[in-house]
Amino acid sequence: MIEIQELAKAFALGKSSKLSDTEKQDVRYSKDAFHSVRNVSFSCGPGEVLGLLGPNGAGKTTTLRMLSTALKPDAGSVLLNGVDVLKQPVKARQQIGFLSADTGLYGKLTAFENIAYFGRLHGMKEEALKQRIDELFTLLNMHDFANRRADNMSTGMKQKTAIARAVVHGPKVVILDEPTTGLDIMTVQTVLDFIKGLKAAGTPVIFSTHHLDEVASLCDRVVVIDKGVSAFSGDIGQFRALSDNGDLRDAFLSVLQGSVITQQQGAA
Amino acid sequence: MWQVYFKELTELMRDKKTLIFVILLPIFIFPVIFGVMGLVLSSTTSKAMQEEHRYVIVNADQAPDFAEKVFYHKNFKQVNSDKTSEADLIEAIRNDEFDVAVVIPADFATKRQQVEQSKWQIIYNQSSQFDFMYRYFNEMMSDYNETLQRAALTQLNVDQTKLSAIIKPVDVQKVDTAAKRENIGEKFGALIAYILIPLCLLGASYPAIDMGAGEKERGTLETLLICPISRVSIVLGKFLTVLTTGLVGALITVASFGIWGAVIGSLGGMAVVQEAMSAIAITELILIFSLLLPISAVFAALLLAISIYARTFKEAQNYISPLSIFIFLPLVAAMMPGVELTAITALVPIMNVALAIKELIKGTADYGLLALIFASTIALATAAIAFCVHWFQQEKVLFR
Repeated sequence: MIEIQELAKAFALGKSSKLSDTEKQDVRYSKDAFHSVRNVSFSCGPGEVLGLLGPNGAGKTTTLRMLSTALKPDAGSVLLNGVDVLKQPVKARQQIGFLSADTGLYGKLTAFENIAYFGRLHGMKEEALKQRIDELFTLLNMHDFANRRADNMSTGMKQKTAIARAVVHGPKVVILDEPTTGLDIMTVQTVLDFIKGLKAAGTPVIFSTHHLDEVASLCDRVVVIDKGVSAFSGDIGQFRALSDNGDLRDAFLSVLQGSVITQQQGAA
Repeated sequence: MWQVYFKELTELMRDKKTLIFVILLPIFIFPVIFGVMGLVLSSTTSKAMQEEHRYVIVNADQAPDFAEKVFYHKNFKQVNSDKTSEADLIEAIRNDEFDVAVVIPADFATKRQQVEQSKWQIIYNQSSQFDFMYRYFNEMMSDYNETLQRAALTQLNVDQTKLSAIIKPVDVQKVDTAAKRENIGEKFGALIAYILIPLCLLGASYPAIDMGAGEKERGTLETLLICPISRVSIVLGKFLTVLTTGLVGALITVASFGIWGAVIGSLGGMAVVQEAMSAIAITELILIFSLLLPISAVFAALLLAISIYARTFKEAQNYISPLSIFIFLPLVAAMMPGVELTAITALVPIMNVALAIKELIKGTADYGLLALIFASTIALATAAIAFCVHWFQQEKVLFR
C-alpha cells in the first residue's frame, strides 16, 4: 500500500536567477524558489496499478523521486506499507523497486552484472540472486543478451535490463517512470505484460506515462498532476467519466483545463 | 561500500582510457624523459660544442699573437671582411656573413708598449641557448691577458718568481662535499616530483569524473541512491576506487622511475644517472610512495567532490582544469632555486611532498620533517574526504 499526503517540494533558485515573464505568471515560482510539487496526495492499494499523468514539467518525476527516497519532501508524508520514508528511509528503500526515466545502466557491465550489482546492494545472497536473475531473464526474455555489455545493447534490451534490475530484490512497491518510452511494440508488450504480472502478484505499481492506451489497458487508478498539484485522483472509471465519450485523451485535457481555472482562481 | 568499490573497479579495468592513464602512461613516461630528452640534450650540447664560428678581427695586425691563437682554434674559422665600423659589423652578423667580430683598437700595440689599458669589443648574437663561443673566446682572452700581464711586469722589472702571485694573488680550489647523488637530486629531484604528483592526479581524474558526473549523465546515480545502503558507503566506495587508481598509477610511476632510471643509466651511457639511481635505496622509493598516498587521497576526494557537483562529464572536466593549475603552482614553487624543506614549507600542501621527494632523491631527507609532512597531508586528506561525504548528501549537489 502506498499512501501519499500533501506532498511538497521546492528548489531554491540561484541568487543571480532572473525570472522570465512566463515564469512570473507561473504560480510555482516565488521570489527565491521553484515549487516543483505543491500539494500531491493519492494512494495505491495492493495489486493496483496507478497511472501518473501530467504534462512535461508538471512535477511527476519530482513526486516519484520523493516516493523513492531520492529526494526529501519539504512537507507531507509518504507511507510505503506503513513505513514512513522520511523517518525510515533505508527500510523504505528495501521495499521499493524503482525504474528512473533514464535507463541508467553501467555500460561496461553485462546485463547479468548490472542486475546482480543491485541485487547485492539489496543484500541478496549469491544463490538466491542467481536464481532470481534466471527467473527474470525468462520472464523478460533476456537469456540471449545476458552476457552482453550494456554499451552494446539495443534500447529495448537496455530497458528490459533496467526493469529486471529494479525488481531483482522482489520489491513490495514498484515505481516506474515512463517505462515504455522509445521502445518498439514487442518490447512495450513485454513490459506491459510484466506490469500485469506484478499486479497479479499483489504488488502496488505506480507508473508515469504519456501513453493513454497503456493507462486504459493497465490502470486501476489515475492521478493527474499539473503545476505541482494533484489535479485529479480517482479510479479509471471516474477518470473516463470526465469526458462525454469516455475518451481518456479528452478526460485528461478536461482535467488540465479545470486545473488551470482552479489555479487562476486560487492565485486571485 | 565494498560492493560499490569492486563494481567500480571492474568497470574501470574494462575501460581503455583508464588503462592508458593509469598503467601505460606511467610506464612509458620515464623512458621518454630519461632517454629521449637526455639524448636530445646531449646531442644538442655536443653539436653546439663542435660548431664552427666564422669570425673577423678588425685591426688584427695590432695583436698578431692573439689573431694566431684564434686562427688555430678548432671552433673558429676566419672569413674576410672589409667592414670596420660597429654598425657595419652588426649588420654583417645579422646578414649571416659571419658569426662574431673582434674589434681591436687601432692603437693597441702602442698602448701595450706603454703599459696602458685597452678596450676591445666582441660583437655577436648572444641569444644562443649554448654560449660556447663566448666561453672559448674568454678562455683565449684570459690566456692572452696573462701573457700580456707577464710581459708588462717583466718590462717593469718585477721579480720573475713573484709573477704568478702578482697576477693571481689568490687561487681558489673548489672541493665539492656533495655526493654526485646530492647534485643530481638537487637538479632533478623537484623535476621527478613534478612528474610523479601530476601523474597521481591524472590517474585519478578520469575515474573520478566517471564515478560522479558520469554516473549522473548515465542516469545511474538516482538508482544507486535509492538502494538500501547509506550514502556514506556509496561515497567511500567510490573514493576508495579513485584512490586505488591514483595509487596504482603512482606505484607504477615510482617503479617505472626506479627501473627505467637504472636501465637507461646503464644502457644509455648516462653513468651519473646510473650512479644516482643505485644510491637510492628501496626504502626511499617506499617513502616516496608513502608520501604520494595521502596526497593521492586528497586528490581523490577533491576530484570526486567536483565530479559529483558537475552535471555532465564535460562540465566536470571544465571544473577540474583549474584544479590542475592550483596543483602545479606549489610544484613550480618547489622547483625554484633556494626553496628548501623547512618546518614551514613542510606545512604547504603539495609543495611539501615535492620538496620531500627531492630530499629523498638527494639522500638528505630529515625524517622529522617527513613525519610532519605525512601528518599534515593525512589531516588534509581526512578533511577532504569529510567534505566529499558531506557534499554527497546534499540534494542541491546531486540533483542540480
